[in-house]
Amino acid sequence: MSFDAQREKIKEICKDLLEKGLVETVIGYAEGGIDGARIPYMFGTPEGAKALCWDQRCVVNLCTYAYEKRDRKTGVVAKPCDVRGIVNYIAENQLNRENVYIIGVDCDGMVGADGEKLPWCAECSVKKPPVYDVKVENPDITDGESAKKEEPSSMPGDFAKFQTEISKCILCYSCRQACCGCYCPVCFMDRGVPNWQPAEPGQGAKMMYHLGRASHLAGRCVECGACERVCASGVDVRYIIKEATKFIEDVYGFRAGFDTETEPVMAAYDPGDREIGFLGGEKHE
Amino acid sequence: MNNSFVSKETLNKILKELAAAEDVLLYAPVLNGKVLDFAEITDAEKIAISDDISYKSPKEAFMPQAENLMTFSEGGVLESAYDKKTVVFGAKPCDAEALRVLHAVLMTGKFQDPFFERRFENSVLIAVGCASEKPGCFCTERGFDKEFSDFSDIMLRRDEGGTGYTVTHLSGKGRELLSEFNETKGIEAAKRTAKAQGTGMKKLELDKSIEDRELFDIIDWDKATEICQGCGMCTFICPSCHCFDFKDVSTFSETKRYRCWDSCMYPQFTLHASGHNPRASVKERFRQRVLHKYLYINKIFGYTACTGCGRCIRSCPAGMNIKKIVESIMEVLP
Ligand code: SF4
Ligand code: SF4
Ligand code: SF4
Ligand code: SF4
Repeated sequence: MSFDAQREKIKEICKDLLEKGLVETVIGYAEGGIDGARIPYMFGTPEGAKALCWDQRCVVNLCTYAYEKRDRKTGVVAKPCDVRGIVNYIAENQLNRENVYIIGVDCDGMVGADGEKLPWCAECSVKKPPVYDVKVENPDITDGESAKKEEPSSMPGDFAKFQTEISKCILCYSCRQACCGCYCPVCFMDRGVPNWQPAEPGQGAKMMYHLGRASHLAGRCVECGACERVCASGVDVRYIIKEATKFIEDVYGFRAGFDTETEPVMAAYDPGDREIGFLGGEKHE
Repeated sequence: MNNSFVSKETLNKILKELAAAEDVLLYAPVLNGKVLDFAEITDAEKIAISDDISYKSPKEAFMPQAENLMTFSEGGVLESAYDKKTVVFGAKPCDAEALRVLHAVLMTGKFQDPFFERRFENSVLIAVGCASEKPGCFCTERGFDKEFSDFSDIMLRRDEGGTGYTVTHLSGKGRELLSEFNETKGIEAAKRTAKAQGTGMKKLELDKSIEDRELFDIIDWDKATEICQGCGMCTFICPSCHCFDFKDVSTFSETKRYRCWDSCMYPQFTLHASGHNPRASVKERFRQRVLHKYLYINKIFGYTACTGCGRCIRSCPAGMNIKKIVESIMEVLP
């Protein structure tokens, strides 16, 4: 099944949802970006479905919009990473399952303006939506190993690389705003009491921010790449977050955004949990 | 105006000298991985000369993201010193036009900004004309010439043979900097394509006499801003955004006062101590961003604070497009 066939199916589903009044709004993609990029598109009438797009330039993670519209029933054209974001919201009690209708679309990865697969898509191994209300399959796409396996970095050996990477950061916090895991009404970095942000806007503040954000995203990152895509400074924003994701998977066997029922790993406590997850616990081999 | 010619070799030599000079800060485009950045340069080899436009703008050279303004201690108040000459090389004509806006706002109004002023007075802006518009660029629609801005000190334009640049000196500062390098004097007042000021097309701007309240009502701002994620990237990379905040940093013996960029797209920007936020959502914030640029600054200073560089359009993670929004406003106005 090609993109075209998937797109026609998506249109049909969305039109139907609105005709039957099952949702108030549908969030999908339409034309309108520069260089052929697709942009988020929200509509509330069956005719609106005609303008829907689906191709390799549907990059934006739409789950943040579903979160914005959490007070009403919304249909979302969701790639596997968008689905994982939605599932994460649901598992963390931020979104009612009944308020979101997931149109899960098989996805083999998106490309940039240069036609090259985006770095996070090249690393992605989740190509089929883990949760959905209706799915738009593509039999040519199979879940499995990602084309490009990232070599795990070995903290703290790569601390120097981390330092160099974040030295490029200008602390604009755009990565936080773009992230579906960063929904706190007031971020720790914006709090005055206590003031977590080191006084001078230098390397210390950048470390505080990136380490803080990475630890808050441990076991919550859905690997959508939104944070890295928005960064104007070309920071490898996910560098340390990937490390946290891997740690959580190794130690607790948990990956975020796969089912709505399992308690999020960082919210759950089991006396049998391995010591390694605690400060001062056994050393990370 | 005074025109001359500089060959590529000579230009490289000049840049090398500037980069090496202890008393000169050189800012230029530089490749940072895949991203074309604009940064301070110490090694002239790193300068990326191309027709591409940098993701970030050169405004940092005139208004750093964080600038220590003064230090208070028992000994009194010590203003931070700034005595270096700054040379900004490789800015685009739209960047020079943006500097015109910063200059108007920070130096010609009711209040003067001494910190901007000293950087501005100590700087030489060398702009390079664009050969083509990049995706997202709309300087022509805004009425600018993509090859020329007279708010630069020196304007370079690639000469057709590709051997060097036609140089137009627009200020004494510019002339001084390049004086020893003029290779051919008196080249004809550059074969500049005079399609400047976007002839024949309706300029993208708003009439100063419009009342903002009117625009609040006749535009569906909810719809216009529904995809904005409020990330603020558009303001940080914009060459003409200039809002700032102060921060005092204290140790036991002294307090330093910093000025840092701020952004109208952040919720904290207008948050009151009471907890009330008059611009409660992205809708009010983005509306402010557009109207501040296209209406308020125009009413007060006579300039629109958008040069059409397209940076905010290219960098927006959601695909927001300020040009389309202004167009839609122009459409509904009588
Ligand atoms: S990593 Fe990039 S997007 Fe995030 S705060 Fe730093 S500069 Fe901004
Ligand atoms: S940290 Fe980055 S990759 Fe992970 S969920 Fe947030 S935006 Fe997506
Ligand atoms: S317009 Fe785009 S870049 Fe600006 S705040 Fe909104 S999402 Fe971010
Ligand atoms: S608003 Fe956008 S297009 Fe206009 S000057 Fe700023 S970054 Fe450039």
